[in-house]
Amino acid sequence: MTSQNNIKNLTCPFCSMHCDDISVTTKNDQYKVGQKNTVCAKKIESYNLNTKSIVMPMIGKKVVKLSEALKKISNLIKGHNETLILNHGVELAGLRSILSFASQRNCIVDHVNSKFLYQNIGIVQRTGYMATSLTETKNRADAIIIFGNEVLTKTPRLIDKVLTPKDSLFSTSKKEIILIGDFSAKIVKNIKGKGKCNITNIKLDLNLIDDFLKLLATDDLKLLKGLKKSELIKIKNILNKSKYIVATWTASDFVKTLNPKKIIAAICKYIVDLNVSSRAACMPISGILADETSSQALTWMTGFPSSIKHIDGAFKHDRNAFNSQKLIDEKNVDVVIHISTINPGKLKINKDITNIVLGHPNTTFTSTPDIFIPIGIPGIDYEGIMFRTDKVVSVALKKIRDIKLPSTQNILDNLA
Amino acid sequence: MITQLKSGNVYDPHNKISNVKKDIFIQDGKIIDKKNVRSKIDKIINCSDKIIMPGAIDLHTHIGGGKVNIARLMLEEFHNEKEPGYDSSAIIAPSTLKTGLKYIEMGYTTCFEPALLPINARQAHAEMSDIPFIDKGGYALLGNDDYFLDLLRKKSSQSTINDYVAFILSATQSLGIKVVNPGGINAFKFNQRALNVDEKSKYYGITPREIVEKLTRAIYDLGVPHPLHVHCSNLGIPGNFLSTIETIKAANGLPIHLTHIQFQSYGNNGDKGFSSAAVEISNYLNKIENLTCDVGQIMFGQTVTMSGDSMSQYRNHNHAHPNKWMCMDIECDAGCGVVPFKYKDKSFVNALQWAIGLEIFLLAEDPWKVFLTTDHPNGAPFTSYPHLIKLLMDKTFRNDILNQLPKEILNHTILHTLKREYTLNEISIMTRSAPAKILGLKEKGNLSEGSDADITIYDKNKKDIEEMFAHPSLVIKDGKIVVENGKIKEYVWGKTHTVKPDYDKSIEKDLGKFFEKYHTMKLDNYILSDDEMNRLVGSPVYVNDCKYKRKQ
Repeated sequence: MTSQNNIKNLTCPFCSMHCDDISVTTKNDQYKVGQKNTVCAKKIESYNLNTKSIVMPMIGKKVVKLSEALKKISNLIKGHNETLILNHGVELAGLRSILSFASQRNCIVDHVNSKFLYQNIGIVQRTGYMATSLTETKNRADAIIIFGNEVLTKTPRLIDKVLTPKDSLFSTSKKEIILIGDFSAKIVKNIKGKGKCNITNIKLDLNLIDDFLKLLATDDLKLLKGLKKSELIKIKNILNKSKYIVATWTASDFVKTLNPKKIIAAICKYIVDLNVSSRAACMPISGILADETSSQALTWMTGFPSSIKHIDGAFKHDRNAFNSQKLIDEKNVDVVIHISTINPGKLKINKDITNIVLGHPNTTFTSTPDIFIPIGIPGIDYEGIMFRTDKVVSVALKKIRDIKLPSTQNILDNLA
Repeated sequence: MITQLKSGNVYDPHNKISNVKKDIFIQDGKIIDKKNVRSKIDKIINCSDKIIMPGAIDLHTHIGGGKVNIARLMLEEFHNEKEPGYDSSAIIAPSTLKTGLKYIEMGYTTCFEPALLPINARQAHAEMSDIPFIDKGGYALLGNDDYFLDLLRKKSSQSTINDYVAFILSATQSLGIKVVNPGGINAFKFNQRALNVDEKSKYYGITPREIVEKLTRAIYDLGVPHPLHVHCSNLGIPGNFLSTIETIKAANGLPIHLTHIQFQSYGNNGDKGFSSAAVEISNYLNKIENLTCDVGQIMFGQTVTMSGDSMSQYRNHNHAHPNKWMCMDIECDAGCGVVPFKYKDKSFVNALQWAIGLEIFLLAEDPWKVFLTTDHPNGAPFTSYPHLIKLLMDKTFRNDILNQLPKEILNHTILHTLKREYTLNEISIMTRSAPAKILGLKEKGNLSEGSDADITIYDKNKKDIEEMFAHPSLVIKDGKIVVENGKIKEYVWGKTHTVKPDYDKSIEKDLGKFFEKYHTMKLDNYILSDDEMNRLVGSPVYVNDCKYKRKQ
């Protein structure tokens, strides 16, 4: 007989908002999301075990015992020169084990989203900026400029938790939401449906953000493609009246533009300049593969956020030399250990390299990896800590079921 | 196993022992009396040419939390140090591993992060858990959070405020409470650019004085050993000694600890509008019984300033070197600012800052009230401590450096007239016994029976006092030899020191509603349990006693 458990406040591990108000019911190793959290319910439930889930370790296509898979991994690593540990989403304890393992085997460690991570980190390292967090934005922001639609597709609950909150400490009137870019009618309708904000939607090419911000900062009423004069005047009026403006974006949204670095720099400069006489701040949204958790933990343990290698007793950083994509494409590594605990999406396997995957049981592959060890999901199958998109808040993840799958830490500590 | 440290020159100010030839016995990580040595002595260490002191304690060093990590991230170009045995992270923003190695090699065995944002407590503790060797802890920031300011605006009772303070100590696993620029960080979020001690904030209508009054009272009522740790209003502004004195008065005679007081002891005399007010501040320090301070000495060279004081860090961002900076408003809880900075010996202002810090040390009549800090890394990295000790113990060395600084500063400082040289016993007080006493760490900073066997042993034959303090012969942590002649012998992991005064749990109901309405996380997720600290964050918790049972 299986028992049913109702869990009221699950902390969601699957996106960088890490909402901790998810109600779930567990039964038969499955979980079901309560009605309340409908926006993400489908997505969260899609991470459940399904009929195709792999729950036993495999060497090639052969099911093996865990001990056999671990022995094989040890032998593979011993016999090769260069091992890359590629992080596709891991919690804090897993990261600690990755670094410990890498320091014993002189491995390279990188996050699969490093190139996006460096877009936002780059601005910290070149000029810096004025930043804010989710709760500040919820309570204080009277105008929020959203550059690009990924902010809302990647973190959909930003809408009900931050943009259109039921309660707010300081905002007495409706928030002004300024959408810059190509937002779907569904998203706009979703925000409008909350009825707690005014929306201005400018379908501007993201390449023109720099020019748009220059227009905002001056008295110029020059026109840009996709921007009407009346819209420009309206936005200027909104921003002039605002007491706390927040700008938000995702770095990955700008990858398709001609110069992502320039766009992020322009947004940050615009916000910094506003602070001369008023208050404004940036709130970049990070990736959904625990990018922030990786960046934070690696930074305090090594000084560097990603792209590191253990050499001569210490971790060294080189953004180009230890760029995982480049290393794999150019076959400059012998073994790649992919670790992917929260994303069951299709994993790209380069057949010319030995691939070991510690992954979500639903993970699919472009081709069969040499070894696959299914591992549990932090926040579902074991406890852990992850960092939220705004960097300052980290959350405790709970264990809600017991399907006897190991964690990243269990596997790597066993191999060490 | 029993270890005997035989015939060392012992400095143990807590027990009024100064330079006395003595044996120290260690069993199971603790110090034991000779009379209680009942079994065979397993190891005898000859200390006849050694100086023995308790392990040193740094009560104010920024070693963990969001702003420290921003600095690490921002200053990548400085992470190129090539000292063998360490990673390349810069000592001004070192990795957790390097932090632990550098501290233990200097004989420091316990350190405290003074600006632990409650909302960021999980991260700060996780970072500190990854620092090897040392015991650690933090002081939770209050006084700029909207919940607290709303309590004051609503004229809530002192008892309610005490409940909130006690809840924060427990929920964030902290040892003390710090207030940074009382009310100023919050006012900055409402676009106020300054807030003097008796100036009302525009939104809440609360003055910094009221905040200090309420918080010092709460700490006193709760019996928390460490007094309110105060980063005063107007940090770094010429003439700020007046607001520092007003902050002292705001405590109404209750215990108060002013931190990095060097940055708060500035006059505005002279043609440059900047002068030393160390004499005025020292007069208060010497006169008022319940007042303690740490200095926050500056040293010349590159560093990075990091503070919860976003108001003052934003004001200072134009001085950033290299030219980059970051400030952040944080979760209706606090703020932070990170601004790299280079103190230049040719600069009148920087040279005078250097002199002001030393003046405060040398004018302090009671070494139990003044603590040796550089406010790492704000004034200088903590690795400057041996140099700072030499400056205090050797007036010729001090004056030689003073003579190389801009001559104009001599019109604004009395440093050149101060002949005092600190003794080894006084150094032992200000780096061991006094911080242990002011923090309420009964088993630290002394060599009494039952105390932690955290011991630093120096070679007394070393001629250079800086060299002696930089490289102890032996460092013992929890009874284990962890450093011997500069080499790491064994890795150990310390614990987190906290204090948990009683409080009425019904405040959690109100806080729960506040979180539900205004925060973006649940109260349950905000609270750090002992179990989570131990299993997930990575550090066991040690609960220190309060001085007495709660008064109100």
